[in-house]
Amino acid sequence: MVTITEAARDKVLEILKDGDRHGVALRVAITGRGRGPGGFGYELELIEEDEKAPDDLVIDAGGFKIVVDAMSAPKLEGAVVDYLDDPMDSGFKIENPNTFFEDPIAVRVQQVLDEQINPAVADHGGFVMLLDVKDETAYIQLGGGCQGCGMANVTLKQGVEVMIQRAVPEIKHVVDSTDHASGTNPFYQPAKGGGASPLA
Amino acid sequence: MKRVLLLMTTTSYRAQAFLQAAESLELEVVVGSDREQALAFANPSAHLTLDFASPEISALRATEFAYENPVDAVVAADDDGVLVAAHIARVLGLRHASPEAVAAARSKRLFRDRLASAGVPGPRYFELGIDAYPVEAARQATYPCVLKPLALSASRGVIRVDDEASFLEAFRRIASLLSRVEAPGASERRGILVEEYLPGSEVALEGILTGGQLRTLALFDKPDPLEGPYFEETIYVTPSRFPLPVREAIVEQTAKAAAALGLDHGPIHAEMRINELGVWMLEIAPRSIGGLCSRALRFTDGATLESLILRHALGEDITTIEREPSASGVMMIPIPQPGVLRAVEGVERAGRVPGIEDVIISIPNGQRLVPLPEGARYLGFIFARGERPSDVEESLRQAHALLSFVIESDDAAQPDPGLPCGRQGA
Repeated sequence: MVTITEAARDKVLEILKDGDRHGVALRVAITGRGRGPGGFGYELELIEEDEKAPDDLVIDAGGFKIVVDAMSAPKLEGAVVDYLDDPMDSGFKIENPNTFFEDPIAVRVQQVLDEQINPAVADHGGFVMLLDVKDETAYIQLGGGCQGCGMANVTLKQGVEVMIQRAVPEIKHVVDSTDHASGTNPFYQPAKGGGASPLA
Repeated sequence: MKRVLLLMTTTSYRAQAFLQAAESLELEVVVGSDREQALAFANPSAHLTLDFASPEISALRATEFAYENPVDAVVAADDDGVLVAAHIARVLGLRHASPEAVAAARSKRLFRDRLASAGVPGPRYFELGIDAYPVEAARQATYPCVLKPLALSASRGVIRVDDEASFLEAFRRIASLLSRVEAPGASERRGILVEEYLPGSEVALEGILTGGQLRTLALFDKPDPLEGPYFEETIYVTPSRFPLPVREAIVEQTAKAAAALGLDHGPIHAEMRINELGVWMLEIAPRSIGGLCSRALRFTDGATLESLILRHALGEDITTIEREPSASGVMMIPIPQPGVLRAVEGVERAGRVPGIEDVIISIPNGQRLVPLPEGARYLGFIFARGERPSDVEESLRQAHALLSFVIESDDAAQPDPGLPCGRQGA
C-alpha cells in the first residue's frame, strides 16, 4: 500500500486545479536502479486515468487516484509520497522502507547512504549510489555535483568510506566507479594554482 | 599510524594524487581546506577548515586542532596552501621552509629582490601599482618587456609587450583581471612587476630540499617556444636534452636561488630560461608541479611524486629513490579559442597513439573556455612514455593532432579585443 501525505495531496490537487484537469491520476513506479531511497530510481507522473494498465494498483487519495505500477508494487509496499516546500529542498519525495538489494550487508550500506550520506552531499548538489557489494567491497558511483568535483576524493576517502565502514564493519573497501571526466556540473572545479574557492 | 595535515583548496587539481599516495603509505590524513567538506561532520578529526588568506590565524586554528589530533607533518598540495603550511609548521615545530622564505618565493617582486641581493643574475625590473599612472612607466620601459601581476600564479595575467601602446593596453587588462580575482593579500593584489623580456628556451626543475641541499627529481624541457604574447604552457618532457654542462648550470642556479630565498626544506618547482648568456631564473615555487602533470613522473618501485613528498615531510630518507630510466612527458592541452566547449572528439584515437598512456579532458562539456592571460583552468592533459625524449614529444604531438574541439562562440568569453600582448612563463 502506498500512502500520500497531506502536503503532497494538497500539492497534487493544486496542480490539477491550476491546470483545470479532471480524470487525472498520480502514477508511481520504480524505474530500476537509481539514486533514490532504497537504491531505486522513481517515476512520479500525472496520467489520464484510462492510461493505467489493467493490473496496476489503484488507490483513492481523496480527490484523485494514485496508480501504482504493478511490477513496482511489491517494492513500494509501505512507501509514502511526500511534498517538501523548503527553499533548500523542495519537491515530491518518496520514503520507501524497501531496498533494491537482497544482500543484508548491501541493505545496510544503502541505509547509510539514504540516512546519512546523501542528505549531506545533497547540499552540494551531489549524490552517492550503491552499485553493488561483493567480497567485502562496496562499489559506488558519485553523481550530480560530486561527479568530477575536485574534492570528490576527499568526500570519498575522508567521508563516505569512513561512514560506511563505521556502520558496516564487514565492508573493508569502497571503490569509486564514477566516470568523473563525464561530470557536467562538478561542485568544486579545479583551477591553476589552487585558488580561492568560488564560494568563499 | 602517522598523520599528515594536507592543505588544499577546494579548487585543487592535486587532491586525488596526494590522497592516493597517503593511502599507499598507510598514513592518516587530515584535509585542511578553505571550505567545510560535505561530510566533515561525520569525521571531524580528519577535516580542518582554514582561512588560507590568513596564515597566522590558520596556524592558531591548526594548533588547537593538533592538541587533540597530533600531526606528524604538514604539506600543501598547491600554491595557495603553502604559506599556511609554513606558519603551521613553525608553530607545531614540523619540518618545512620558513614562512618568510615561502612568502618571498610567492611574491614575484620579493623573489627578484632576494635574487638580486644574492647576486643571482636576473632581468631588470620595477614594480608598478595598478592605481599608478602608467604612461610614464611605459615611456621608461625597455622593450620587449613582460608585465606580471605580483600575486597570480601559473602565468595568469602575464603579458609580453613590445612598445608603449601594448604596454598601456596590457596594464589595463591586468588591472581589470586583478580587480576580479581573489589574491593572497591586498598589497599583492595591487601590484604589477615589469621585467625585461628574457629570450631563450624554457625548462622546469622538480626538486626537493633537505637542510638546504637540493636534490633534482626531474628536469623537464619545454620544447614549444614561449615567446608571447601569452605564455601558455604545453609540452613538458624529461629527461632534458640539454648538454650536461647546461643541466649542471640549471641545478646550480636553482640551488643558489633557493638559498637566496631561504628555502631549505620541501618540494620546489623551478622554472628558468636558457640562452647564450646563461641560466635565468623565472620562479621557484615552494610546492610540487601543478595540475595533473605529476602523473608524468614515476620513481623507484612505481613511487609517485606525492608519495616522495609525504615521506620526505615525515623525515624519511628518500635519497636512494630515482626517477624511472625511461623518458616521459605531459602536454597541457592548449585552449584553442574562447567559447563554450561542446565536445572533444578523437580522444580514443589519441589514446591509441604509441607511447600515449592517458588523455584526460578536465573541463566538462558545456563549460566556458577562457584562454590566457585571464584563464585559470587546464583544458586537459596528455601523458606519454617512451625510450627517448624525442619519442615522447612526438607521441604527444601526434595525439594532440588527433583531437578536435567543438567550441561554440561565446561573446562573454571573448578576450578584450585589440591586444597585441602576451605573457611570459612564471
